[in-house]
Amino acid sequence: MEHFGYLFAAYSIIFAVIFIYVMFLRRRQAALDAELARLEARLGALAEKSGAGNSAPPADSPPQL
Amino acid sequence: MDTATRDYLTPDPLPSVSQTRGKGNNRGSWFGFATLALMIAALFMIFDYVPTEIDEGIVQRIFYFHVPCAWVAFAAFGLVAVAGMLYLWLGDQIWDDLGYAGAETGMIFCTLMLVSGSLWARPIWGVWWTWDSRLTTTFILWLMYCGYLMIRASADDTPQIARFAAVVGIVAALDVPIVIVSVRLWRTIHPAVLVTKQGGHGLQDPRMIATLLVSLAAMTALWGWLLMIRFAQLRTRTRLNTVAMQIEFAHAAAGDQRPIG
Amino acid sequence: MSAFAAVIRKDLRLELRGGQSILALLAMSMLVLVVLVFALDAARIRSADTAAGALWVAMVFSGIVGATRALGAERENGAIRGLLLSPLDPATLYAAKLAAAFIFMAVAEAGAVILMVLFFNLEFNASLVRLAPVLMLGALGFSALATLLSAATGHTRAGDMILPVLAVPMFTPALIAGVKASTAALSGASLGSMSDWLKIMIAFDVLFITAGYLLFEHVVGED
Repeated sequence: MEHFGYLFAAYSIIFAVIFIYVMFLRRRQAALDAELARLEARLGALAEKSGAGNSAPPADSPPQL
Repeated sequence: MDTATRDYLTPDPLPSVSQTRGKGNNRGSWFGFATLALMIAALFMIFDYVPTEIDEGIVQRIFYFHVPCAWVAFAAFGLVAVAGMLYLWLGDQIWDDLGYAGAETGMIFCTLMLVSGSLWARPIWGVWWTWDSRLTTTFILWLMYCGYLMIRASADDTPQIARFAAVVGIVAALDVPIVIVSVRLWRTIHPAVLVTKQGGHGLQDPRMIATLLVSLAAMTALWGWLLMIRFAQLRTRTRLNTVAMQIEFAHAAAGDQRPIG
Repeated sequence: MSAFAAVIRKDLRLELRGGQSILALLAMSMLVLVVLVFALDAARIRSADTAAGALWVAMVFSGIVGATRALGAERENGAIRGLLLSPLDPATLYAAKLAAAFIFMAVAEAGAVILMVLFFNLEFNASLVRLAPVLMLGALGFSALATLLSAATGHTRAGDMILPVLAVPMFTPALIAGVKASTAALSGASLGSMSDWLKIMIAFDVLFITAGYLLFEHVVGED
């Protein structure tokens, strides 16, 4: 099988790049989740400060891990 | 505080963590599995089903991923342009997010097309790169992708930047047909030293066509899946930015001296 | 006087009072041509190909430099705000800026052509007359493209680099066609023989002028 190396390299690179991109997406997702947690904390502080009447509680339950 | 003010100061409910994993989580998983199934089918056909091409040997099998990558790269570019037009017309941030997701994913496939093309050219023609009409056009497309992503990466996410990116996406997409025509004319009158067989592809065996079609479906599904994930992420980010702003405003209105950020 | 003419007149008047735009374009063209003379060892050859190619390289790079400066002067003094607050509509503003940029580029190109003939061992003959429309089409296309893109250059953190990264790939069809047509012109061919290339350039110009006219309002704004 001549030139097998090139065939192997081409497909390996394709899958490697896709894999790396998915990793990148997951990292972004983690950052977004952290930001979300931070904002929920701020929201909680805001709710305490203004009293129960002024801020609507989040429409969904607290984050599930 | 009167009701109107109170409503305005109340931040939107935050998306729960499960929501941030992509709207319609189930839809995303189904699509992911479908993509995986198509991929496996395509790989089987590429490596076991389709016969080896006579002239080029097994290296020719790169073709079955190389061409679908090109197709996706161009389709994604079209998506970026359409999303840009909708953004400029309707002003809704959702279209800008779609355009950005399309550009990022499209860039991936454009890069893969060029890399696979190079790895195919080297054993067949002896050079790592050749300026034939298809590779040249895709390279120019790649440069335009770079420009678009440079705009987005190098600046803060203001609506002004989004508008500029939309304009660039539209204009670049309109330019692509002229690029194709001019490059083809360029290479026809003065053909490259190495004339590739990419025109017409010369697919003798119907099994080759079938394999190509399945690979095309698999690659498109893969793009769609990645696009969905990235798009959902950007939507979440947009919503978070909005909510963060509202919280700051509410804090300020409540007399809170906490600094922003 | 129409707003369109007023803006053009303003730009031209600024230039005549020592605006330096044409000078910068010419200087950059000359420097690029000099570099290419040495890079291509043009001293010992006489070839339309090389000369045409060198001319277009000079045109593209001096055009990029010129475009980057074009809105620079207005940005410096915040004059953009004044333009935006005036009743002038963005499309007309675009047309006026385009016209001014084209005039500057055309004048600078005339100078570059003279330098090209001198540096690359060509003749001052009728071929230059056939070359003129090709260069005008190219300058028009590049001005249309650059005027649209440079309007937003200042907003991104990448700054000056964003314009060439965007402009060069987008300009490629006009560049390919322009060089081929220029080579043909300098080799003594008739305009009819290069009609395909000219058609491409005309299509390019129409596309970008129209797109710029329609889309300029979305990109112009303050920093």
